[in-house]
Amino acid sequence: MTTPTGITYRKVAVPSNLERRAFLFMRLSGAALLLLAVGHMMIQHVLNSSQNLTLQFVAQQWSSWGWRVYDMLLLFFAITHGFNGLRNVLEDYVHNRNAVKWINRFLFVFAILTIIWAGIAIATF
Amino acid sequence: MSTLVLTIRESIRYRGRSGHLSWIAHRISGLAILAFLVMHVWDTANANFYPALYEWSIELFKHPLFALGEIALMAAVLYHAFNGIRITIMDFKPELWKHQTRSATIVWALFFVVFIPIAILMFRELMHGCAARGAACWQIPSLSDFLN
Ligand code: HEM
Repeated sequence: MTTPTGITYRKVAVPSNLERRAFLFMRLSGAALLLLAVGHMMIQHVLNSSQNLTLQFVAQQWSSWGWRVYDMLLLFFAITHGFNGLRNVLEDYVHNRNAVKWINRFLFVFAILTIIWAGIAIATF
Repeated sequence: MSTLVLTIRESIRYRGRSGHLSWIAHRISGLAILAFLVMHVWDTANANFYPALYEWSIELFKHPLFALGEIALMAAVLYHAFNGIRITIMDFKPELWKHQTRSATIVWALFFVVFIPIAILMFRELMHGCAARGAACWQIPSLSDFLN
């Protein structure tokens, strides 16, 4: 179809594959992060402040399951979105297929380890 | 090394106008947030696993240079979030593509309107914290003080 300004477009059904799902995931996790990440910045860095942050404050927040779930969701979406974004960026600049493969494997393992380590820290505090 | 120089030079030189600037800002803010996030997540896990180390790090983060970095992080998150929403809407609404330039400008305007008052609040907090700690404000806390 053509708009009045002359832009022509048509809707096509894109076959689903890993890259298509990664594309959709970036947009979906982005929407989740709009609440989670921006909310986190507002609550912890504007309403509260790192100028008077203490271990007791962290202990008090993580004694409640509400905060634990919030932080775990933020952890999961921020790390997966961020590392998938990094993968996108690197694939623009690294042209050796074998190198890309090994970088992706490394990033994948590192991202999973980060989520597990920090997830345990939150869950068992 | 020369490919790195080439990449940086051509990234700046490519002239896609406002969309080009948005693209660079989105990419750099995303990478900057990720770099900070990885450090922040492993550090915060220390609150559970190595509380003494964590207490040292949060004292370090009160240093004015870290507090300024925190304001820069706020800028990166806000711009990236607003522009990310723009990208998402545009991807699914081709009929809006004729408004590319305007949408990029709206995102910058929204960003400044939200960021500037927040930056002022955060800067005031920085000054209060610094005044409260007096001479210790510019000092790097010593790790051994916390480990004992
Ligand atoms: C706050 C809400 C956020 C929204 C709405 C959002 C949205 C998006 C979207 C839609 C993309 C895909 C861009 C494209 O494919 O062209 C993207 C890319 C990216 N995001 Fe986010 N994001 C958010 C938060 C974050 C956070 C917290 C991080 C860091 C951990 C991050 C890191 C990245 C990176 C590294 C990229 C790749 C940049 C590129 O391809 O040039 N984002 N973001």
